[in-house]
Amino acid sequence: MKTLNLVGTLAVALVCGAAFASQEHVVAQKDKAFSTKKLDIKVGDKVAFRNDDGFSHNIFSLTDAMPFDLGTYAGGQLKTVTFNKAGKFEIECAIHPDMRMVINVAP
Amino acid sequence: MNLHLPSRAGLWCAAALSAAVLGFGSAAFSAEPEKAHPTTNSSGALLPRDSKDAAVFRGGLVYANYCVTCHGINADGNGRAARLHNPRPANLRGSDKNDAYIGLIVRKGGESLGRSAGMPPWAEELTDEQIGDVVAFVRSVNAQSQSR
Repeated sequence: MKTLNLVGTLAVALVCGAAFASQEHVVAQKDKAFSTKKLDIKVGDKVAFRNDDGFSHNIFSLTDAMPFDLGTYAGGQLKTVTFNKAGKFEIECAIHPDMRMVINVAP
Repeated sequence: MNLHLPSRAGLWCAAALSAAVLGFGSAAFSAEPEKAHPTTNSSGALLPRDSKDAAVFRGGLVYANYCVTCHGINADGNGRAARLHNPRPANLRGSDKNDAYIGLIVRKGGESLGRSAGMPPWAEELTDEQIGDVVAFVRSVNAQSQSR
């Protein structure tokens, strides 16, 4: 009986964990453009900014809630940001000023 | 957050205006002979393509497109993204570096010269002419150059 209770508890924990687990999203940079112009995620989610170009990108955001700068990174590399704050994040590339996208982070 | 991003056209106009204020007052009356591919300054006067004034003008446009985010519209290191960087972006008005050094750091980035990695290497993005032009523009706004 104890074993059954333990298994049941673990199963519930796994189901709940899956429901609330943070997700990882991938936004590629290709041909000096983001793979999407808009992304909706939740607080705690991660976004991997993957450089699929043959040259460098430098992704940053000046959003007050959580400004960040990933620095310059070459093609084939990716850098990941965990969005711990809700809000609208405008994402840019310091090297290619026409590259813009928005990430909406829901609470 | 209300992130106000100035329009590119606005920045270009600002750069062209500053270039005009800084360097084109005499260009319109330059005695230098006209070359095969002239450009124009903000007042429409023709500038020889190979002239210093034309390089400063073109460099102002390059600066407004690629450099202004960190170094600022006044080239004083106070661009809107400056707060992301420690150390802060260089105040180009007060730089004591020569043209060769400025060209090198533009081309190879800050890290290669033992300085801030926040300055990206621009050789992949800019042509040799654009790098030369932006160096000319930086030189034109440099206080130490103007005091010489």
